[in-house]
Amino acid sequence: MKMSLAQRVLLSWIFALIFLIMLVLKLDSKIHWNWFLIFLPVWTFDTILILMLIVKMAGRCKPDFDPRDGEQSLKRRLWYLTALLLKLAFCLTLCSRLERLTEMWVSVVCVPLWVLLGGALVELGHSVFHYRRD
Amino acid sequence: MLFSLRELVQWLGFATFELFLHLLALLVFSMLVALRADMFTPTLSWWLVFVPLFAADGLSTYFTAIVSIRLYQENEKRLAVLRLLWVLTVLSLKLVCEVLLCQKLAEQEQARDLWFGLIVSPLFILLQLLMIRACRVN
Repeated sequence: MKMSLAQRVLLSWIFALIFLIMLVLKLDSKIHWNWFLIFLPVWTFDTILILMLIVKMAGRCKPDFDPRDGEQSLKRRLWYLTALLLKLAFCLTLCSRLERLTEMWVSVVCVPLWVLLGGALVELGHSVFHYRRD
Repeated sequence: MLFSLRELVQWLGFATFELFLHLLALLVFSMLVALRADMFTPTLSWWLVFVPLFAADGLSTYFTAIVSIRLYQENEKRLAVLRLLWVLTVLSLKLVCEVLLCQKLAEQEQARDLWFGLIVSPLFILLQLLMIRACRVN
């Protein structure tokens, strides 16, 4: 089953909207919830994405799977899974820092984000220069 | 992941190179924020921290102007105007949000009336516009 672009955008849009509203309410001190609760839309969205990725990767175990076209997409999906886990790690450390559960430096909190952004930049840069070569 | 690069380019209306530019700006910005927060450089003002984001907006506007002029010269007038209008709307909404956030952080005492609901309101408008555009692209 493949979702259309509008469905996927709607899914991201709803979670982004709820998260922004909760973030604004928290920052304006209208609600005094825990930061982990404010990030609930982010956790839910990431869980959905990870589950979708795992289901797609499990598709390789099907008996009629053609291994010739699978090598590239497996690498890509492993990178996506790593990216999602990095994002999750960043949000978790950020929440624990905001809740003052740990007193680590902001630079340490940002390390997963930097790795994620670096990876995304390499992937985007590759596609930019690939198109240019063509 | 959820969207392919081609879909992102179609949906957001930005070229791959512009996306690259904005991501790079975000990376430098997050590094400066971490530097500022960890107090390695307490004299670093918030306006200086936001410079990468402003620079990315400026470069993106310049890039879009060039692309639109080229499109206009090649007689794709409708496409040129639509692209210019869309990108300028998105970039100006982003810029308003950044400037307001920067002002709030830099002048915490004077900008007490500037509540976060107001700062994030351009992003709410941007979200609605992106949803409408997704339906059109679809």
